[in-house]
Amino acid sequence: MTYDNLIDLSQSVIDGVLFGSIYALIGIGFTLIFGVMNKINLSYAAASVGATYTSLLIVQAAPPALVYVAAALAGGGLGALIYLVCFHFLPPNKPLATLMSTVGMLLLIDEAIVHITAGMPQNYPAMFVGANIDIGPLSLRSDLLFVFALGCAVMVGLTLLLKRTRLGLATRAVAQQSVAARLCGMSITGTNMNTFVIAGFLGGTAGAMAGAAIGVLSPLLTLPLTIKGLVVTVIGGLGSIPGAIVAGLLVGGAENLFQYIRGVSERDIYVMLMLFAFLVFRPGGMFTPPAGRD
Amino acid sequence: MLLRLNTLACAVLGALALTVPAVHAQERTVKIYGIGAKSGVVRIFGLNSEAAMKAAAEQINKAGGVTMGDGVKARMVIEYLDDRCTAEEGINALRRIASQADAIVVNGPTCSNVAEPLFGILQKKVGDASDSGLQFPIYTDVAAKGGLASISEWSFRNVPSEAAMYKSMFEWVASTRKDLKTVWGGVEKDFAHSNATYNIMKDNATKAGFEVAGQSEWLLADTSFATQVREMKRANADVVAISAHPFTTCGVLKEMQRQGVKPKMLIGLTSSSSMETLQGCAQQAEGIFIPTSFAPVTPEAKAAAHAVQAFNVNMDLHNAAAWENMFVLKEIIERQKIMGKPETLAADRVKMREGLASLKQTSGLLGPVNRGADREAIKPFLFVQAKGGEWTVAHKP
Repeated sequence: MTYDNLIDLSQSVIDGVLFGSIYALIGIGFTLIFGVMNKINLSYAAASVGATYTSLLIVQAAPPALVYVAAALAGGGLGALIYLVCFHFLPPNKPLATLMSTVGMLLLIDEAIVHITAGMPQNYPAMFVGANIDIGPLSLRSDLLFVFALGCAVMVGLTLLLKRTRLGLATRAVAQQSVAARLCGMSITGTNMNTFVIAGFLGGTAGAMAGAAIGVLSPLLTLPLTIKGLVVTVIGGLGSIPGAIVAGLLVGGAENLFQYIRGVSERDIYVMLMLFAFLVFRPGGMFTPPAGRD
Repeated sequence: MLLRLNTLACAVLGALALTVPAVHAQERTVKIYGIGAKSGVVRIFGLNSEAAMKAAAEQINKAGGVTMGDGVKARMVIEYLDDRCTAEEGINALRRIASQADAIVVNGPTCSNVAEPLFGILQKKVGDASDSGLQFPIYTDVAAKGGLASISEWSFRNVPSEAAMYKSMFEWVASTRKDLKTVWGGVEKDFAHSNATYNIMKDNATKAGFEVAGQSEWLLADTSFATQVREMKRANADVVAISAHPFTTCGVLKEMQRQGVKPKMLIGLTSSSSMETLQGCAQQAEGIFIPTSFAPVTPEAKAAAHAVQAFNVNMDLHNAAAWENMFVLKEIIERQKIMGKPETLAADRVKMREGLASLKQTSGLLGPVNRGADREAIKPFLFVQAKGGEWTVAHKP
């Protein structure tokens, strides 16, 4: 391997790790909802992209920072809506029903985006244009470093929220024993709704960061973000927020590493093999103790 | 008094009886079916084609409609079915259309991955009694992958020859920009049209004397292009030729800007010469050259573009073909004396096929469109360049 190849390989992995911050944000949303409700919301990434599209409504009139805030707010709103439509009115003891309802919601949001925009790509404002941090021959993208820092801040913030606030206490109580929590006067609906709104804020932010990093929005984003978000959640450990962050960076880095070594056509094969390896050897994910096998 | 009333009633009834055939004549319709993607990520293609078909039908109807085989004037109406750019949906749509008593021809489909299997379910050779394939004429406006019409004698296409376009494009570049020596490619590996066209680009670049130094590859739904653009940067080629659709074209162009990759010339895929690219990344696409079979440069093309705008879409190389097809179909219905009646259905379809097969030249918006022996069109084309957020004509070969 020549020096140039080594630099290219290192740069590819760095780029992948940094882009993995976006997967991490999506993974946190998946894992947060699973941690509280023990259910998977498959429409989460689609709602994130939907929220980002919604923020385009003010893109002509507002500075980029406000556009990203609008995406987060729209994400919160969509999160509340998804909770009501896909979870609240469905029987809690039928996990398949909620799973299928979120699949339906994923397709609905996707199709709504396609119908409204006719599938045409939309320009999305970028962050920190041209402000890369160069370390010798390597370069770090400022916007992705910001997303990485944001992911770490979210991890700390959510941990504090869950451990140090009444809302967090209620959330943990509902997650652990919902009947007892209700007997203690906690509102199950209110707690779940709050979780979906918070996860929605994160999702909207993640969607906006993805849009800003790519520079273009397209309905084509929903499926890869859903798949990557799920892979990150499984590898990180369902319900583990630090796990989602580490797994996001790992998946992003591995993706670019495999792409560099084996090419784009084989890249996803190796990422999926990595997922299977985790499912077999560490089914609970990286941040849980190894589980026994049947 | 009673006699007068009777006389008046008879006169009114008589007058009504006289008007009935006229009313019937006005209500006679001939339906042209369309198949294309009206949902999914290429929805815009289907919407554009449908709008162009409707705009053309409106113009034909305003001019008196179509003269059917029995001499009666009929109004053209359009029914457009969605195939979602998937082969299964496309085949279902065609079978549904073929079972209709008023279906004599279909315009479409949008995607090459639909056109290929769709042509495959048609009878391969006309008159082959051992072939139970569908005997139904298809006239394609969008699906651009080369050579597809040869699959069945019932399939015809009015799509530009990308081989001819890129041959001419690279010859033009070689003759006018002698400082350009090397080409680097960029290709969306998992999309049939992009892949096929990249091979055409590569072959023609080599034939025109360029050295094709290599290629970067990505997938249709990719979100990160850093590694691919780094390869491009390392190659430092004079020309970058991108065979990809607008979403990833824009993603790559933005990453090129981020990494400071500035080739001396950018060349794009025919399908990207639409408003989609400019809507996604006008600034980064500035200067890109693309061959296309439509630009509003002739009075006919300007009028067609204006007519289509009334349906809230823009005209591009794809729906321009749908527009042209409608006028060709009108001409064939009249020339072949197609009746458009349920009892003449099979004969009408055969007449339509024969009419399409007999075409040697048709009128296109940019000039005459010739027909090859392989039932493919040989269309006039030009090169456009993105300038200031618009497509401008760079060269007319």
